[in-house]
Amino acid sequence: MTVRNRGALAAMAAGATALTVAAVVAVAARPAADVGADEVAALADTAPSAAGSRSPVPVRKGELPAGAEIVPPVGLRIPAIGVTATVNAVGTNPQTNEFEVPPSVDQVGWYRYGPGLAAPAGSVVIAGHVDSSTQGEGAFFRLRELDQGDRLTVTGSDGQDRAYRVIAREEYQKTKIPLERYFARDGDQRLTLITCGGPFDADTRRYRDNLVVTAVPAGPAAAP
Amino acid sequence: MQLSYSRRVATGGVLAALTFAGVAALTATPAYAATSEVSAIHGIPGTPVDVYLNGAKTLDNFAPGEVAGPLSLAAGAYDIALTKPGEPVADAILTVDDVEVLGGTNVSMAAHLDASGQPKITSFVNDTSKVDAGKSRLIARHIAAAPAMDVRAGGTSVFTNLTNSNEAKADMEAGTIKADAVLAGTETVTIGPADLELSEGTATIVYAFGSADAGTLEVVAQTITGLHSTPAGVPSGSGGLADTGASTWWYLLAGAGALLLVGGGTRVATTRRSNR
Repeated sequence: MTVRNRGALAAMAAGATALTVAAVVAVAARPAADVGADEVAALADTAPSAAGSRSPVPVRKGELPAGAEIVPPVGLRIPAIGVTATVNAVGTNPQTNEFEVPPSVDQVGWYRYGPGLAAPAGSVVIAGHVDSSTQGEGAFFRLRELDQGDRLTVTGSDGQDRAYRVIAREEYQKTKIPLERYFARDGDQRLTLITCGGPFDADTRRYRDNLVVTAVPAGPAAAP
Repeated sequence: MQLSYSRRVATGGVLAALTFAGVAALTATPAYAATSEVSAIHGIPGTPVDVYLNGAKTLDNFAPGEVAGPLSLAAGAYDIALTKPGEPVADAILTVDDVEVLGGTNVSMAAHLDASGQPKITSFVNDTSKVDAGKSRLIARHIAAAPAMDVRAGGTSVFTNLTNSNEAKADMEAGTIKADAVLAGTETVTIGPADLELSEGTATIVYAFGSADAGTLEVVAQTITGLHSTPAGVPSGSGGLADTGASTWWYLLAGAGALLLVGGGTRVATTRRSNR
């Protein structure tokens, strides 16, 4: 075997190693596939049942509307991914009209215009940072690791814990996410967790995608 | 043969055209069959009534200050009659014929007094367009036998010079306001004040009804929900630590690997051939 040949073989080996490493990295970084998308669509379905459309005209006293009882979430625990976060009531940014995720990345925000924990229907939305350029990893950094069946607990301002069970994890490009489904005030009771994901554009410092986890009530919370 | 072939083609073409026309007609049908959501507001003080729509009793013993509906009605003209409870429609105390209900609208029909105290029916089309996130729509309607009014929130005028059978509206920050009505251009309170909960994503319609002379001015309210919009987006990361896209170094690594592999392989192959 010539020296030239040996050098060429070494180059081939190095090349193969580099390609293998690249392939492994690509596989490891690949976003986990969506799960439970059909279940989420079913929860949002508000089509009336066929029966009973010939009811008499409803009549009520035209009293001034009184504020409905709203129970804001104040704490969120997701043991599977080590999350214990304070939940703040937030709205939208007046300039951008976007969800005002709390600036402190270890806290998450509840959309105060939508349903609270006591609402009989609709989607309770909590959004949190995956990370920030100045503060590092956020409360929802590992949200993508959640899978169907994982449990989480939300504490309300009434001190009561409510247990939820994950039924879906979906990823959408931000330009295509059906936000009206996740910010719905009708349909089944559900909890929607949102963060960022997908490829990151270093120039605009924005992620391309939103990661959405949907959970449904899972009965009384287990003792801590 | 040639003829029958072309005839068959022609027949097929006609059939296709007919099918297309049929589909177009079917899909166009809903425009003609549009329904409207109609609510009824009773704003004539001291006078409970039965309500007849096209001669059929629709509401029984409908009381002042009550809101009925919404009722899905096909677009068209309706004859409305109000009777004292239990009395025949022939003895109606108020009849209004050919009240037009436009398809695809949300309408509130108010039975009320005009400025001089005569009963009438006014049909208001409700603005059910979406409100921006965080907003609530307030609609004020004057259906009282009373002079022009200003409507105030927290002591500041939001609507001015509202007159009988008219409305004023605005989208405002959701929340609770202290509202009252004053004689237009004065500080003389005619109705209220009262706390008004303006829920986000809803329209709150407040009607001033009754008679100023008789001292029966009060309000009746109607709420329309489901007018909320979503936030424009959910920006929740700026660090790039969770980037799942291929980064520059990945492309460099993969590219270098491929070059080395191909280059080395070529070298080995040419060396072998020259050694042979």
